[in-house]
Amino acid sequence: MKRKLIAAIGVAGMLFSVAACGGDDGGDSGKKAGADGYAGQTLTVWVMDGSSPDQWQKDLAAEFEKKTKAKVTFEVQQWNGIQQKLTTALSEENPPDVFEIGNTQTPAYAKTGGLADLADLKEEIGADWTESLNESSVYEGKQYAAPWYFANRVVLYNKKVWADAGLKDTPKTRDEFYTALKTIGEKTDAEPIYLPGQNWYHFVGLVIGEGGELVKKDGDTYVSNLDDPKVAAAAETYKKFQALSKAPKDKDEATPQQGEVFAKGNVGAFIGMGWEAGIAIEANPAIEKQIGYFTIPGATADKPEGVFLGGSNLAVAAGSQKQELAKEFLKLALSDKYEGQLAKLNGVIPNKESLQSNLKGNAPAEAAAPAAAVGGTTPLIPEWAAVENDPNPIKTYLTAVLNGKSPAAAAKQVEGEFNKRLAQQQ
Amino acid sequence: MKRSLFGRVWPNATALVVFAACVFPVYWMFATALKPTGDIIAEDPVWFPTDITFEHFGTATDAEHFWTFVRNSLTVTCLAVLFSLIIALAGSFALARMRFKGRRGFVIAFMLAQMAPWEVMVIAIYMIVRDASMLNSLVPLTAFYMMMILPFTILTLRGFVAAVPKELEESAMVDGCTRAQAFRRVILPLLAPGLMSTSMFGFITAWNEFPLVLVLSKESGGAQTLPLWLSSFQTQFGDDWGATMAASSLFAVPILILFVFLQRRAVSGLTAGAVKG
Amino acid sequence: MTVQTERPPSGPADVRKSDDPAPAGPRPRAASRAGALAPYLLLLPACAATVLLLGWPLLKDLLLSFQNLNMAQLIQHVTEWNGIDNYKEVLTGEDFWRVTLRSILFTAVNVVLTMLLGALVGLLLARLGKRMRLTLMIGLVLAWAMPVVAATTVYQWLFAQRFGVVNWVLDKLGWHSMADHSWTSSQMSTFFVVTLLIVWMSVPFVAINLYAATTTIPGELYEAAALDGAGAWRGFTTVTLPFLRPFLYATTFLEIIWIFKAFVQVFTFNGGGPDRLTEILPVYAYIEGVGNQHYGMGAAIAVLTILIMLGLTAYYLRIVLKQEEDEL
Repeated sequence: MKRKLIAAIGVAGMLFSVAACGGDDGGDSGKKAGADGYAGQTLTVWVMDGSSPDQWQKDLAAEFEKKTKAKVTFEVQQWNGIQQKLTTALSEENPPDVFEIGNTQTPAYAKTGGLADLADLKEEIGADWTESLNESSVYEGKQYAAPWYFANRVVLYNKKVWADAGLKDTPKTRDEFYTALKTIGEKTDAEPIYLPGQNWYHFVGLVIGEGGELVKKDGDTYVSNLDDPKVAAAAETYKKFQALSKAPKDKDEATPQQGEVFAKGNVGAFIGMGWEAGIAIEANPAIEKQIGYFTIPGATADKPEGVFLGGSNLAVAAGSQKQELAKEFLKLALSDKYEGQLAKLNGVIPNKESLQSNLKGNAPAEAAAPAAAVGGTTPLIPEWAAVENDPNPIKTYLTAVLNGKSPAAAAKQVEGEFNKRLAQQQ
Repeated sequence: MKRSLFGRVWPNATALVVFAACVFPVYWMFATALKPTGDIIAEDPVWFPTDITFEHFGTATDAEHFWTFVRNSLTVTCLAVLFSLIIALAGSFALARMRFKGRRGFVIAFMLAQMAPWEVMVIAIYMIVRDASMLNSLVPLTAFYMMMILPFTILTLRGFVAAVPKELEESAMVDGCTRAQAFRRVILPLLAPGLMSTSMFGFITAWNEFPLVLVLSKESGGAQTLPLWLSSFQTQFGDDWGATMAASSLFAVPILILFVFLQRRAVSGLTAGAVKG
Repeated sequence: MTVQTERPPSGPADVRKSDDPAPAGPRPRAASRAGALAPYLLLLPACAATVLLLGWPLLKDLLLSFQNLNMAQLIQHVTEWNGIDNYKEVLTGEDFWRVTLRSILFTAVNVVLTMLLGALVGLLLARLGKRMRLTLMIGLVLAWAMPVVAATTVYQWLFAQRFGVVNWVLDKLGWHSMADHSWTSSQMSTFFVVTLLIVWMSVPFVAINLYAATTTIPGELYEAAALDGAGAWRGFTTVTLPFLRPFLYATTFLEIIWIFKAFVQVFTFNGGGPDRLTEILPVYAYIEGVGNQHYGMGAAIAVLTILIMLGLTAYYLRIVLKQEEDEL
């Protein structure tokens, strides 16, 4: 026993030294560029899962290192739980220096003081940023982030499944879309569409298409507008299409990643970002040739379905000790070269109109373009970010409707939670 | 006493049912992990994996920094258990064998400490660790995991110490041992099963801990442990049950082995531990 | 070795006494000053750790509960005291009370089921033959040893809407509407699965513990009872049950605190959903505090959670207090 104990203590000592190593975060210091440029420094950049291709990151990091002598590390983050992670990270000594932040969440973070003022950057490189895309980055007249890219959803479909069902053309109206999916269900053993119950961005798009609003102003505060008949109509549309899917009614499009479900080849279509095709191709390279894209059809052929104009900004942490370097990074990342490359590779809308030519010949981007004109966003108010925290009341609303509640009853069910979040003390 | 046929059959039959209920989920986890995907998403379940494949384990271990997670988890868990055993041994000896003012207070204090709902205190702990500049380090994790299991360890060990007959210690001291020597030569060997069974609880608690490491270790490849890997895996591969079950199996195996290995010696001492729990 | 290193430094007057080679025998040990200090010194590391690693976070939590602490304050390290506003808001809202009631019911149901089944299986173990007992023991240990995160994942798979084996079995048994049932879609079915999971994980501890306790019951007690003409049932109620009482109390206490804090099972299985209907207190505190980034509010709920837990276990703590008086 004695020997064993001593051995155990020896092991403990060993482990402890390992622990000490593990604790070393290797953080680098130094704030300003010396004679060596920024040699020896490392910039940490948080990007969201799927938003920037490997090629883009690699090229950019290489050029950045050449230019500044500093390294850059990209850390890929998941959307789930990102706000909790970001908030704590911003309060720390070593926050991520640069990070991607969703446009709906930017105003809330701008208000917290966690984002550095980028007025000089805007002056230097932002003169031709598209006005409407820059809206979410500006809070109380100050520039807190830089618009990076924008995108709206399209229908990604499996050409082989559609051909098997005898379908030749892509649908132009909502009814045609529905009939086509029905045909797939009848003529093949594929799942016509993979539409989980909580793809709420698509639902927001449908609401925009109906001309509705999720919230309305009541005096000084925003309150739920889910009981609006226009919202109810959007929910009914969602329900009608969801009924064709075997996807769970209480999960969103990221759990599991719908691209991976689609990759298995037994799904007719799904509604997603153009770059989600990349997820599918990574999971199953053979699927690449089968993927097609079309604009989400609207109620009538002359107007596509409403879409949520999702987008991401790049921000610099106010607490970062590498402000200058971070701005150098932004200048390069948002330069025409890399902004254009991103648009081209991912089929997303770049932050200035002059770069739109990069989208030419890009199938998902061309499918997305017609709808972008009729797209919209959630209200760009600081209060909004709280709504997106789990459990997001809009997701709850959708699941309730899909499980058989009337839209009015579902709206009533989540109203309290929704209003509470909109009124939440900041 | 002779029992009727029925009297002999029903306990065994019930035992088999209970056995099946206990084992099935564990079996299903391993079986799913070993089945090819086609057999996992079959309209009729494939009860016994016939074409065994290790591809899901490959998917699971391919995750970035997998071995860092493993190393971190092992380090933190072993250290936390070891430190808590050492600290608790001293304390439990005092509580079980010595008479002093405030003893009752200490016992109650540890019982209260045992109730601490750690999950709801994560932000307080986070702010303390942050302000001490100790984020992304295994040190605070080890310390707090040690604390999570310390009260239980003390209270359980106290029962084990009390169960060692006093006379043994006294006779050793008659033979010329000091109290410390008596403790080391007589009591410690007798405590072995107790130490093992309490360390099992420590292991499983520290191995499982999730909410705290989630906020304390954000840096990927830093001081992150296996529960983080398992949960991120689950969100990303929610639909891929083969990979998810392979990951769960990998996560569970060390604890399963430890328990099966230690249970015989541990159970024999459990009574002593629980009587005062 | 721990004992040796912590030998109290003592004044010269005490040296002789404490170094006395054989202070044993019926002679009561002289309470030298060093001897009197020994227990405190032995307890010192444990107490220091508790104060530093538990006391401090608790105090911090208490302080946070009187602050308006949200995203902005956390990021900028600002302390904004707001008195008892958090408590006022929590206690006057109906959410908190609903969650508290749910938590207590949830704990009660799970503890009762666990103790009942655990005790039955424990008694069963005592009745089995050697080989069968070992078999069952291994089964119990396997269920017991499953790490909770892994176990919850496995239950998600067992109860998965598509290809979940439970739905398949129910369908084959003739309950066809269950073929595509989503267990996470309603409050009751979520609780059903979580309860099953918790009972499954907890029964082995109770059963093995109780079985081990029954092995220590002296056989003479039964013989004496049999001589008095007691049947099997009387023997059980007059011998087994009284003997097992302290074990039952102790394990019930542990199960109450473990199940009341069953955060991982509830949170991982369905995130407290659907529609926040399965949130128990720790989950509620986490979602309000960390999830909604209302950290001060979360701290207040945490403090209240601790108080409620104290209330739930007060009875047992009182028994222990009394018992400790009688000992030594």
